Amino acid sequence: MSRIKYVFRDGWRLVWRHFGMSLLTIFTAMSVFFVVGATMLFILNIQNMVRVMEGQLSIQAYVKGDAELDAVAQKAKAIANVREVKIVTKEMALERLRARLGNQANAVTLLGENPLPASIEVKVSHAADVSDTARMLIALPEVEDIVYAGQVVEKLSRVADFVQQFSLVMLIVAITASGVVLFNTIRISVYSRAEEIAVMLKVGATSTYVAFPFVIQGFILGLSGALFASAALGYAYFRAITCLKEMLPFLTFIEATRYLGKLSLVLILCGTVLSLFASLIAVEKFIRKAARPL
Amino acid sequence: MEIQFSGVSKTFPPDINALENIYLNVDKGEFVYLIGETGSGKTTLMRCIFREVVPSRGHISVGGHALRKMGRFELALFRRDIGVVFQDFALLPNLTAFENVAFVLEVMGMPKKEIEGRVVDVLKTVGIWRRRALFPQQLSGGEQQRLAIARAVVNEPSLLLADEPTGNLDNHTADEIMQLLLDINAAGTTVIMATHNQYLVDSYRHRVVKLRRGRIVRDDREGGYESNVED
Repeated sequence: MSRIKYVFRDGWRLVWRHFGMSLLTIFTAMSVFFVVGATMLFILNIQNMVRVMEGQLSIQAYVKGDAELDAVAQKAKAIANVREVKIVTKEMALERLRARLGNQANAVTLLGENPLPASIEVKVSHAADVSDTARMLIALPEVEDIVYAGQVVEKLSRVADFVQQFSLVMLIVAITASGVVLFNTIRISVYSRAEEIAVMLKVGATSTYVAFPFVIQGFILGLSGALFASAALGYAYFRAITCLKEMLPFLTFIEATRYLGKLSLVLILCGTVLSLFASLIAVEKFIRKAARPL
Repeated sequence: MEIQFSGVSKTFPPDINALENIYLNVDKGEFVYLIGETGSGKTTLMRCIFREVVPSRGHISVGGHALRKMGRFELALFRRDIGVVFQDFALLPNLTAFENVAFVLEVMGMPKKEIEGRVVDVLKTVGIWRRRALFPQQLSGGEQQRLAIARAVVNEPSLLLADEPTGNLDNHTADEIMQLLLDINAAGTTVIMATHNQYLVDSYRHRVVKLRRGRIVRDDREGGYESNVED
């Protein structure tokens, strides 16, 4: 029991008595976690934008005059990947036209009897599915014609795929770079105490007794770095989003409060575990070296 | 703690023969001076005893432990029963004088109260109690040496290895330190002391082992520093 107390006290002591080095490690950890967090937020926002654009894509299927709208809608719903089906009656189509014309709305009276066809508006889950779904809709006997933004869909589908792959690569690069930087900073911190490690072993300390304070130190520094990074990220994101919403109102950004809590938790957990293991690996290396007799 | 060296040689790369064919037996409770010129192998011999150095040839046994076949954990436990006064003191720079001495007892898992009692006693004995809150670099060379001695003896080891423990001290302080080592020896601890201090070796007569170029050239049971009899 005493030993456990001593080990925890020594870990805390390592942080305070090497304050300069601790500060450097915390700052490095904070920077790398900030970069990882910012990358994740960037990726989430891009994915969100693509998702929103995908959600706005729809196929307008014009129904033959004698066809039953509800029946056609039911058939459309049965098609795989269809997310939503909305019925647009002839009256609704006219209303929409009026709304679109605005000041010239009265011009629709020139049309005489409502010539606009009834239709169903179909939304799909993914942009990539639009073309297939369109082919299936046109194959329905009740459907006369379909209209959808074919090229836009193709491009958006390609962008979505690219964003998915790019996000993964970016995240892997950010995490790897952060891990390497953090590991090296902790290794330098341990290296500056290599001689102490050797002395501790010479006076009868076990490898575990020597290693644990360094692991606790890594835990404290990693946790502090991740906490500071989360706070800085939250603040920076909130400010950035406020600015961007004013400048680019047509873009939809993810809400800070909804995602930042989860993101901070991920950062703190991953950061702490990463620092803990980096310390363990670094100190174990020096212990092995110091314990090796000449 | 008894020590046996059987045909021990140690060669450091590229081809420095630090020890050559050493046969040495030290009985439990003995006091042995290791003398010889700088570079004669005294420190290497002591480092072999607590397994900081492993011999290139031969066999060493300390307190019944065959040192060659020792794992990391076993080695740590073995070292807890050996006090070492290092030539360069090897103090922990980020711990105070008090904490440096206490560290040895903490690794053994001793309760805090007992540690405090022992550390207070030993720091008072070596005369640096008033400097207990200072860090090693804030102490003078002589004080650092006393601190190194305090750390080596605080756990009442079965074997004490002292490499030049009076190197930076005047004769009066050296006498005090010597008295401390003799008291520890009288309590049953085997003491091996490497020294150049002729005054001490002549004043406090004990077994003298002299090394030259890695070989034992003299082993006198009650010898002084100088002798005409050499192998």
